[in-house]
Formats: sequence, C-alpha cells, structure tokens
Amino acid sequence: MFELSTNVATPKQLRQGDYSAYDALYLGDFSCPDYPKNFSADPDLLAGGVDTVKSQGKKCYLRLYAVPSNHDLPWVRKVAEKALSLPFDAFEVHNLGLLLMLREMGCNKPIHLGVFGNLYTDATARLVKDYGVTRVYPNPELSLKEAIYIRDHTPIEVLTPVHGKIPLVVSETCFIVEHSDKAVEGDCKFSCSQDHWLTRTKGEWSLKDTGRMTLSGSDLCMLEHVEELAAARLSAFYVQSHGEDVGYAARVGEIYRDALTRAFAGEPQGDLSSQLEALKGLAKMGLCNGYYYESAGRRYFGEN
Amino acid sequence: MVMMMAPGGTKEMCRMVLDEGADAVYVGVVGWSRRGSEHELTDDEIHEVIDYADRLGKEVRVVVNTLPSSTEVPMFLDRIAMYASWGAKGFMISDVGCMRLVKEMLPDVAIHTSVGCGITNHRDVQFLSDIGATYVVLPYRLSVGEIAEMKAKTGVGIEVFLFKTPSGGKICPGKCMMSSYFSYRRWLDDNGKDHFFGSASRGGDCLRVCQTNWEFEVDDVAFREGMTIKTNPALWLEELPAYLAAGVDCLKVPGRDRSDILVRDIVRFYRRVLGAIAESDAPNLASFRPELETFRQRWVVERGHRDRRLISEAEREAMRAERAAFRKSARPAAVAQ
Repeated sequence: MFELSTNVATPKQLRQGDYSAYDALYLGDFSCPDYPKNFSADPDLLAGGVDTVKSQGKKCYLRLYAVPSNHDLPWVRKVAEKALSLPFDAFEVHNLGLLLMLREMGCNKPIHLGVFGNLYTDATARLVKDYGVTRVYPNPELSLKEAIYIRDHTPIEVLTPVHGKIPLVVSETCFIVEHSDKAVEGDCKFSCSQDHWLTRTKGEWSLKDTGRMTLSGSDLCMLEHVEELAAARLSAFYVQSHGEDVGYAARVGEIYRDALTRAFAGEPQGDLSSQLEALKGLAKMGLCNGYYYESAGRRYFGEN
Repeated sequence: MVMMMAPGGTKEMCRMVLDEGADAVYVGVVGWSRRGSEHELTDDEIHEVIDYADRLGKEVRVVVNTLPSSTEVPMFLDRIAMYASWGAKGFMISDVGCMRLVKEMLPDVAIHTSVGCGITNHRDVQFLSDIGATYVVLPYRLSVGEIAEMKAKTGVGIEVFLFKTPSGGKICPGKCMMSSYFSYRRWLDDNGKDHFFGSASRGGDCLRVCQTNWEFEVDDVAFREGMTIKTNPALWLEELPAYLAAGVDCLKVPGRDRSDILVRDIVRFYRRVLGAIAESDAPNLASFRPELETFRQRWVVERGHRDRRLISEAEREAMRAERAAFRKSARPAAVAQ
C-alpha cells in the first residue's frame, strides 16, 4: 500500500538502530566518502549490509556518492560493480555522470534519482527515466502539487520526504574540517560526530551542518498532512535521518507508520498532539513544512 | 579561436561589451534566468541586442537557465523558438529535460549548459553532450588538469568563467537551496508564468544569505562568529594560457549584476590579455597584474552593495511572511470572540 524508508550510513548504525517501522532502507551517506565505514564508499561492507536488511524482510537500496570528481569515478565504479553482484533492490544516484556510468555497466537494477539530482520538471523525469530511473526525489523547492504533476505526467514514482531535516547544500570539501582547529583534511578525526549548527548572529536563522552537507535547521514534519498525502495516492515516503541520533529514526518511524497506516485505511487520525510533542522534542529548531505549500522552506503550516 | 562571451545585464552593457571586443553577449530573459529582473532584458530589448550584434558580425546567447515548473515547459519552448527566429544563436539552459527538447526542436542552435547543472566530473559532461549540449560551463573551482581531462575525454565545447574560488566547498550554484529556505514566495503573472522570489534556480535572485554573519556552534558551544558560509570567487589571470592549452573553447566574463562601466572595463582588459597571449608563445602576464587587482577591488565593492541589498530583501520578505502568518492565525480567534 505504501513504503516508508529511511537512511542508514554504516554497519554500526544498522546494528544499533531499530528500523522496525520501515519497509526499506537506503544504505550509505551520499555526502561524504570519508565518513568511517560508509556503505557508499566501501565495497567490502555491502554484502553484510544488504544481508542484514534483507534478513529483516526489507528492501535495500544503495546510495552512491553525490558529487564525484573525476578522480572519484574509479572507486565509485568499484562500489557499483560490487553492488550489482548483490541483491540490492535499487541504486540511488544524484549525479547524471553516474547515471550514464550505470547504464554503460549494464545495470539491470532500478535506479532512484536522489535529492541533489536537480529534478524540477516532468521533462527531466522523462529523460532520466530513459536512463533507467524508476523513482525520483524531486528537488525540495517543489511544492506537493508539482511533485504530483511530475508523477502523473511522466509517469514515474515520486519519493515524498515526510520528516527530517531538508538537505539544502552539498559540498566537495568538509566545512567542519575547514573551520576546525583540530581536524585537518585527510585526518578529519570524525569531527562531524559532534553536533554542528550555523546560527545567524542577527535573527533566528539556523542551519545544521554535517560537514559536507548543510541541512535545514527545522525538521520537515508532514504528520498533520498524512491524509492529504494518502488521498493524493503518493506511496513512497521517506524519513531523512542523516545527522541524527540513532533513536531518531526509530521514534519518528513509529509515529509515521501508525499515522500512514490509519490514513491509508481511511481511518481518522484523531488527536495527534502527543505525537507532535514527541516530534518537537526531537527537533532542536522546531518543525517546518518545507516548500510543499509554496512558501519558504522553514515555515510550518499545521496545528489547525 | 577561443570565444569571449560577456554579460549583458542591461541593453547599454550589451552595446558596450560588444564594442569592446566580446565575441558574444549573453542576456537573461525577464523571469527566466538566475537573476533579478533588473539584470534581465525584455523581449524588445533582446530583439534590439540581437540586431545590434548581427550588424557587428557577433552573436547573442539567451539565458533561460531557470529550473522551470513542469507546466511552464511549453511556454519555455515557445520563447526559445521566438528568440531563435530573431537570430539568437544559442541558449543557456539548466533543466536537462528542457535541454533535450530544445535540441530536438532546434538542432542547429548552440546549447550552453548553465552552472545550475552542477557538473562535477567528465561523465557528467558526457551525459550533457549526449543529450545535446554544445558547450558545458564548468564550475569555478576546477583545476586545469581536471578541465583538460574533461575536454580530452568528451570533446565537447568547454566554457569556463573568468572566475575561480581558492578551494572547494559548498557547491554554488547548482546544489544550494539555502536562500529559498529562509525567504521564498511564488506567484503567477497574467501570462501564467511562475515567479519565485528567493530562488535563483527558479528565476528569482539568490538572496545571498550565506554572506551574512553567522555563528558556528559545536555541541551548543559557540566556536566561530562573524563568519560567512561560502567563499566568493575572484577574477583570475595567470592560468589563462594553461586554460587555453587545455582546450577551453569559451571564456565567460561574469557580471550581469555589476555596473555597465565595470563590465566594460573588464571586457576591454581581457581582450588585451588575450591579444598578448595570441602574440607570444610565452606571454608575460605580470604587467597586467596591478590592473587586475583594481578590478578585483571594484568587484568586491559592487558585490558588497548587492549582497547587503539582497540580504535586506530576504529579511523584509521573512518579516512579511511572519506578519501574514500571524494575521492568518489571529483571524479565527477574533471571529470566535
């Protein structure tokens, strides 16, 4: 009826996390190949990862590095080659060059276009579909109406993020390392394991930084709109948990599993205040609705 | 022969840069390029610029590099057909789906990929070439070696900005939505054209929120303050012979949103530099260095003015949205009372 997915960067996160609320997992951190034991960067981790996910009865997708330079292409290819021999259900790419590379490698698996694939139009969705893409993550700047239009007019499956910080910027180098006294390029000392925030000196603007990716300060929250999502026949939902504690995906997933199940069964949501309070408790800088309702990404339309 | 392509942020700027030696001028269409409307041209102005360039034996590239709404695509194609019929020789495009459609519709026009495509490697370049790109514009931060590799492996026309950043860092433009996260508004005009304030990708201005003062906190402890999030690119010079040797086909002068006079002077300067390179196997560019420094300073001053204006616009829009949200939330309560 619907699929709920989230992301898992490393074997450790896979072991420690509770992903029982999810139907599918995206393995790997697509933003940083230096992230320790990152599924996206180490072919030796893939067999164990996909085996663990499959043993839990879930679909397993592999994320490829989002912004590979020329010199990254050989190692990314090795990761893809290894993954092609394993029972992954799909690749996720953010880079048109890698999309071309997968096609030339004879990739017979579905391909998902990731958030930094810059998908804004059904014309682009049709183009990438010709290259084997079966699911697209529209650019976060698109409204719900636009995402639905793309789904219907391509046609193609659309991934709909329902919760978590919005990926806003990706980097080729690490912002944390560049501004750290301790870490240096090549030996980052895993500084991103600490919580990094950018806050405007004047005003209330905030962003979370994970080194090679900048995320929204507020957490996208569509809990109060799940009935609208179900009515629109959207069916692939995603919780963005990159940069969060291991318990985040579990708690958020549990709340959305319940809400989506009710919405797809046509049952009323009832009073969501306790769930909303729980989600607010996980969101340091509050909740937002992203761009879904044609407003600035940090705005929240809800609670009546 | 490398093509020098210069900005036309105003009709007067177009005339100046063509007179000063640019081979082509690029002009944005109101609502369809990655700049505010004050740096874009109306259709009538574009027609006049095409005629002017044609009389000089030069070319016009039309910048339509927004990432449009799906429903705008037919309008986007109609406009391109119109400009081509007036004599525009090429178009700068970001949306790869639209790029393919334009190539199918007008196979003989030159298609320049926009910075919005966010190229990072030679396979990206190959993909874009396969779907119809004539020139790919490379980001500010690539090395000469990377550019040479892209040219050697693809053979596609390579376009570089006369602009570079000292390091990598956050990918701008092409993979950044920071501006619209803070300030963003959509509206439709009378022709059904979507407008998006706060999103460069969608035809508004990038509001340069990265250039305001930020604090960097680590585990709730302030670590840095008064910092910007991104470094700014600067005009460059010494590597120019190496870029040309690497196979660069098109040099793009930045500055659609700078003053007419500054852009005119920069075009005049680089035309002289290219002349010096053409005349010698081992050109000495050191004599141009003091002049370049002057242009860099003038650029920084103008950019500062523009950044402050745009950040103020972001603040005003944010306050407007706050007030609107407050009025909306207050209305039912007032009725209930």
